[in-house]
Amino acid sequence: MNWLIKQLDRMTESKTRTVAQSTGRRSFMGRLAMTLTGVSALPLLPVARAQQQPGETGDPNSCDYWRYCAIDGFLCGCCGGSMNTCPPGTEMSPMTWLGTCQNPADGKNYIISYNDCCGKTSCGACLCNRNEADRPVYRPQAANDINWCIGTKHLTYNCSTAIVVGTALEQ
Amino acid sequence: MPGQTRTVKSILAAALLAVSLSAAGDDHRAKINYMLYCQGCHLPAAEGLEDKVPRMSGFVGYFTHSDEGRRFLIQVPGSATAPVNDEQLAELMNWILRTYSADELADGFEPYTVAEVAELRQTPDTDPAARRKQILEDLSKKNRQLRRSLAQPATSP
Repeated sequence: MNWLIKQLDRMTESKTRTVAQSTGRRSFMGRLAMTLTGVSALPLLPVARAQQQPGETGDPNSCDYWRYCAIDGFLCGCCGGSMNTCPPGTEMSPMTWLGTCQNPADGKNYIISYNDCCGKTSCGACLCNRNEADRPVYRPQAANDINWCIGTKHLTYNCSTAIVVGTALEQ
Repeated sequence: MPGQTRTVKSILAAALLAVSLSAAGDDHRAKINYMLYCQGCHLPAAEGLEDKVPRMSGFVGYFTHSDEGRRFLIQVPGSATAPVNDEQLAELMNWILRTYSADELADGFEPYTVAEVAELRQTPDTDPAARRKQILEDLSKKNRQLRRSLAQPATSP
């Protein structure tokens, strides 16, 4: 029995020494740090993160793109921003109106938030006025004729985004 | 006989569960209705916009401390004229109160019923800002916590 324990002891010791000689805590920490830095830098890479989500097809800078079913304005994607982000030098209005559009890729209805970008004169590119489910201005929460630059520093309208914020109920 | 008792018990349990579910409403539907008909102005976390849109988060529950306040939450035009039926409006208001302002709810708060909402929304407010101010003034006389909340500029509703 003693012999067996000694053998095990020797084996463990030699393996431990081999590992300790061929690797080091410092090199492990170095590799870990490199991995962590790499992983954290991934979202900063210039990929199209503000563009389409999986399950979307079509040209986001074209008025017939599915998200724009109820929009009335200039598409921010043609103005230096994207359908989710405002162009540099403008500010996204916190207040907005929301509607639903059907995504032809999966046939589902999604809730779209049409936040306006404000603070620079009208962009003038890619005017898109589709108005599906648009309501008159006396129902302001569903009206796209309103300048929604409310709560921003400047009230000048520049362009409109179309952000997917959720899935609508199946009717 | 014991078999029958068990059957009766399980029927009772199922009935109780159905009642509690109907009182709770459909949370998912309420959330979607909030997004479509409230969040554009009250914002995604019901935080409101200073001097423009009343904050509901951490605040709207105070209105349940008086009958007048309770009526107001349904008669305020944003509620009364929202394009949802009576059942969904009751469900939506109960969801808003529970989700965004559970800590401020009156003790023993009873959720809105469909019949109550149906009746109240027939007479929407004509001057909601003035009525709101009056309700909060009346409530803050008795409610120290509300007085403090109203006095803090950063959290002014």
